[in-house]
Amino acid sequence: MKNILLFFILIFLNLQNVNANEYIKDEREKIQSERNSLAIGWRDNLGYELPKPGSYELYNIRMSGDGKIIDENGNENTLHNLMGGKITLLSFIYSNCTDTNGCPLATSVFYKIQEKIKKDNKILSKLKMISLSFDPTYDTPQIMSLYGKDLSYIKADWDFLTTESLEYLDPILKDYDQPVIRKYNKDGGYDGVESHLLRVFLIDDKKLIRNVYNVDFLHADLLINDIKTLLLGNE
Amino acid sequence: MHLRKFGVSILGAVLLTISSVTVADETCMSPYMAKIVGQEDYVYVWTLGVEGLGDEQDKLVTIDVNPKSKTYAKVVSVLSVGGRNEAHHSGLSDDRHYLWAGGLDSNKIFIFDVHSNPRKPTLHKVITDFVEKTGGIVGPHTFYALPGRIMVSGLSNNKDNGGRTGLAEYNSKGEFIATHWLPTDGDLRGAKKEGKFADGYGYDIRVQPRRNVMLTSSFTGWSNYMMDFGQMLQDGEAMKRFGNTMVVWDLHTRKPKKVIDVPGAPLEIRCAWGANNNYCFTTTALTSKIWLIYEDDNGEWQGKAVADIGDASKVPLPVDISITADDQGLWVDTFMDGKARYFDISDPFNPVQKFEEQIGSQVNMISQSWDGKRAYFSTSLLGNWDKTGEADEQWVKLYAWDENELALTHKWTIDFYKEKLGRAHQMRFGAYSLYTSKQNKGKEVTMLDK
Repeated sequence: MKNILLFFILIFLNLQNVNANEYIKDEREKIQSERNSLAIGWRDNLGYELPKPGSYELYNIRMSGDGKIIDENGNENTLHNLMGGKITLLSFIYSNCTDTNGCPLATSVFYKIQEKIKKDNKILSKLKMISLSFDPTYDTPQIMSLYGKDLSYIKADWDFLTTESLEYLDPILKDYDQPVIRKYNKDGGYDGVESHLLRVFLIDDKKLIRNVYNVDFLHADLLINDIKTLLLGNE
Repeated sequence: MHLRKFGVSILGAVLLTISSVTVADETCMSPYMAKIVGQEDYVYVWTLGVEGLGDEQDKLVTIDVNPKSKTYAKVVSVLSVGGRNEAHHSGLSDDRHYLWAGGLDSNKIFIFDVHSNPRKPTLHKVITDFVEKTGGIVGPHTFYALPGRIMVSGLSNNKDNGGRTGLAEYNSKGEFIATHWLPTDGDLRGAKKEGKFADGYGYDIRVQPRRNVMLTSSFTGWSNYMMDFGQMLQDGEAMKRFGNTMVVWDLHTRKPKKVIDVPGAPLEIRCAWGANNNYCFTTTALTSKIWLIYEDDNGEWQGKAVADIGDASKVPLPVDISITADDQGLWVDTFMDGKARYFDISDPFNPVQKFEEQIGSQVNMISQSWDGKRAYFSTSLLGNWDKTGEADEQWVKLYAWDENELALTHKWTIDFYKEKLGRAHQMRFGAYSLYTSKQNKGKEVTMLDK
């Protein structure tokens, strides 16, 4: 009788174990699936070996676009003026964007870049990062200031910009081939951004576009590699 | 399974971050490209002009393919480009605003605006200095979208009109950036030669960005593709001038890494979409085989012949191929017998043919919707290689595909000779959903530069 009882207890425990294993397996698959839907920029590991900085060429794609912008303090300026003689990473974002693999990804990658280069004054002093809003109606200078407030916490040169209106923004977007789909309300009035194409631009000290990244390539390690390649080319 | 399980795919995201859901589109386009949401509205057919037919010019033909439209299955726009260029392949920019289309003989590249009015494309720009700018590449073939750029593969060169060629990189404005020559025995450009060949020939381009890999295939040069097909088959020397290689490139640096032997003119390349499916397929025109190009357990890219297509001794001539969005099926068109074959590729190392049907006397291209339910076919291969007489049919056909029943059902045919259009070649999809807010569905296009 004691043996029979022990037998059933063991079966019960075993079943519990099977259920636990099934649960763990399901959870693992769920986590893996969620990871698979995330862009490469969210991962620490790029997944392939990067070439040595300076061992490859970043071609001159074309001259970058210019246009009037407004900074976080409400001051007017131009994109080219802000770029100065620095190497620039330019990203178009908007504060209401919720697509994990969209604006939050671009902002996260910029954040990771400053984190990775914070002790490298050589790069830090020669890099400008710009996040420019797609949505001047909602993203006022105050909003952009709030958006960037806790992001640029070190000496990194990172600007959070907007424009006076769509009238000023659209020529810039067109220059950078940045399509955006906008929503309109029943009365035909502007109702915000619906979607856009994620692109980040690497611009050299002569304001030439040297690389264009989308979600496939937007990884901090790869961008830092390209920045180093440009810096080596300038030496 | 010998594939390296690695990497995270980005496909959903890649679909470029436009936050919309991907529902329908061709399955063989650049992963960088924005995707169509829902039913495609138009098919753009890059068409060869024919002497004595209509206006005799090459043209972009727009077909209305939305079943809800009053002009469904009708040609709604014809845009002639002012001459014959040996119109061949075309490719969309990553934002799908522009369609680039090449002339293999004239070396002109026509850039059409397909977004301002998707129903009636306009000619935006013509590149006329392709050979000069690229340093001698001839025959602009594949137009492959990279972020903010287009990579163009050549078929030939202006030195000997043979198959040695390169890739030309352009920016989104249609301005030349750089030439990347294919590796040869004389100049491997740092690539490792795996087998007997390093011919430097070119044809198609595809990428697997998560593995930082670009692949190119190899066809033949101007002296062959402009020759009469029958004459070429009798010319022993000409028949030696076909590509036998594929090249594995470092996508980021544009440097060739490895030359793989793939004998018999490997043409179209189609890469798997799945997160861990690190492989691509090609078919060889002369030896009638499916080849798998895959990353092995050591991270090395390899090539392996994995299936026969029909009876190779009868030279069925595999041409266009199309992979399904779930990586489970591969369509293979064979030009000579006019058939479409469907292979089960759930085990990529052992494709199994499940279905075949004759589409016409000759068939070349296939474009399937993202859900795989619609397959469009067209006829023309090359002006001097198409069949003659009664067998020279020229059309675009739509079939509905039922994968469970393994059945193709013919929906409609547009006869390009009857319509006095020409020879129908490559088909690309267009849709209002690419440019219009879902909130404003059915209303005017709201793109910023409309």
